Amino acid sequence: MDFVGQIVSYFYQYFDNAAFLILAAVGLILIYGMMGVINMAHGELMMIGAYVATLTYNAGTPVPLAIALAGCAAGAAGIIIERLIVRHFYNQLLSSLVVTWGLSLILSQGVLVLLGPSTMNMPTPLGSFSVGDFSFGVYRMVLFGVAVAMIVGIWMLFRYTAFGNRAHAAMENPRMAEALGVNTRRVYTTTFGLGSALGGIAGGMFAMTAAVSPFFGQSYTPLAFITVVIGGGANAVLGLAYAAAYLAGVQTITSNVFNQYIGYVSIMAAAFVVLLAMPSGISDFIERRRMRSMQR
Amino acid sequence: MSQPNPLVAGISRRLNGPQTLGNSAFFWCAWLLGLALLVALPLLVSRYQVINASNILISCILAMSLCLIWGYGGILSLGQASFYCIGGYAFGVVGINLIDAQGNTDLALLAGIAIPVVFATVLGGMMFYSRLKGVYIAILMLVVSLLLGLFMRQTADPSYTIGSAFLGGMNGLRPATSADPSIPNMILGFGDYVIAFDGRRSEFYWLVLGLTTAIYLGLRWLVNSSFGYVLIACREDLDRTETFGYDVRLVQLAVFCLSAAIAGFSGALYTAWGTYIHPDGFGVAPNILVVIWVAVGGRRDLTSVIVSTMLLSWISLELTSSGEISLLALGVILVLAMLLAPEGIIATAGAWIGRTVRRRGGMPARSRESVT
Repeated sequence: MDFVGQIVSYFYQYFDNAAFLILAAVGLILIYGMMGVINMAHGELMMIGAYVATLTYNAGTPVPLAIALAGCAAGAAGIIIERLIVRHFYNQLLSSLVVTWGLSLILSQGVLVLLGPSTMNMPTPLGSFSVGDFSFGVYRMVLFGVAVAMIVGIWMLFRYTAFGNRAHAAMENPRMAEALGVNTRRVYTTTFGLGSALGGIAGGMFAMTAAVSPFFGQSYTPLAFITVVIGGGANAVLGLAYAAAYLAGVQTITSNVFNQYIGYVSIMAAAFVVLLAMPSGISDFIERRRMRSMQR
Repeated sequence: MSQPNPLVAGISRRLNGPQTLGNSAFFWCAWLLGLALLVALPLLVSRYQVINASNILISCILAMSLCLIWGYGGILSLGQASFYCIGGYAFGVVGINLIDAQGNTDLALLAGIAIPVVFATVLGGMMFYSRLKGVYIAILMLVVSLLLGLFMRQTADPSYTIGSAFLGGMNGLRPATSADPSIPNMILGFGDYVIAFDGRRSEFYWLVLGLTTAIYLGLRWLVNSSFGYVLIACREDLDRTETFGYDVRLVQLAVFCLSAAIAGFSGALYTAWGTYIHPDGFGVAPNILVVIWVAVGGRRDLTSVIVSTMLLSWISLELTSSGEISLLALGVILVLAMLLAPEGIIATAGAWIGRTVRRRGGMPARSRESVT
């Protein structure tokens, strides 16, 4: 039965990688996809979520509540950041990039000064199951479930709620939306806070699989950004699913055939290939093809 | 210039222009005074401080390389330190291999420039010719730098030797066996006529000071030349420049490679300075430092960038002695500077000084000054 175990293991790795990319990128997609601001401090917001989850869990809070608190803390931090700093940098892409990068430095170094460089841990819950000679963690599958739920949730939020309509209007044509009585400033702040909260939740969930340190978030931001970019802006939420499915596939194959490092490099190479073929991302490309076939 | 000396007038026409702040006689007098102070520095301060000053000047060269592509070319790279480190590694590897045979590090220094340029040509060629958006280039460069760092970290395996140089993973570049020479100092010259510049001595400081000045003047000449105008045009509007018949991709690639050459050169100097190079140089912190130096000073002016690099490096040296807060402080400085003076603190202050001097009528400003 070793053969079956191997197959299951590949699928397991694939879903694990996809969940990783989706969770890392899901908060960023709101902020970049909807507002056009690249939040380089996204990884640090995840780091805040991870710390809050770990600290509250170690203080005796049950896991789901700890993760909810992580989301609240990161969301609050996001709202403060938007109000104080990011607000001044809308429509200045490169400047917002630099200023949020500076912010990420402040957050990670600030936590380093406050809590020291030692890492914290949180046990991985839910045990494991085994197929053949391979054993798998149940929690990783929960991660994937949460990732899918988040994508669906965001999609529904923007599709069916009044807030979603206002947000769409503010993104499409801010001046017109304002003229129609939408408080665009509040929409931006809410969106930024929501994106940050999702990042915090993701950070809290990753805290149970990785050691938490002040530099916990550094590796997430570039990966999350790559995922968002190749997803494209036409249908950002669906694009995220495409991008994660594609990148996780490439990473699973290359890291099994070669090694972990080649796996990371191949994500970048794969992203580059997509950008050459479809410069505005996968979802734009698909959208345009669908439009064309409808016109025929 | 009041006296019509043709040589002075010719030089000043080349070095001054709308692309740089500080074109007046007043500015150049202050500049010469500053340079004289820097030349005399080893006589005024302790030996330890001279060693630090050499490193700060090397940082200035690196900062100028980012200023060139970001401030003048409009191409932000968040991974500028990767070229610096590639140059550093190239110098070290070639230096270890050739120092015994040749007795100088001329070729190593050349490698420290050439290898980053080759790397930049391949990478930049792919990025610019596929017309990648500016933001993507910025992030892609950061990712490349982090991946290179990840690669260099896992080279602790003895199979990663190049000739007699061992990449050495987290321990940094080192000789493969104890019989091999260690990373050499800067030794320039041919045959028996060589001068060794020990990184801990004042001679090395003066060498770096001379090179920094030369690169500064060279870049001032470049950005005020007709190529500089095309470069600015690319920064302001890529499509319009292309409509005028310029091959913007080639211009961007050229300036990207030049910037990589300068960054690689500074990396080679750094390796020679400390006879040490380490994978941490590819990490987030070194990359963000370069951006901070340039953004806080004023990315659109070379002089401001140099002044801010000197000040900020000095501040972080001072703070390092009082705990781990230097990066935190620099992050705060960056965010405050971006909020209060988006064109850069030094550049804003410099433009203000220029206006004040002109208004007082002390010395007539020569040409169109504040362009930023």
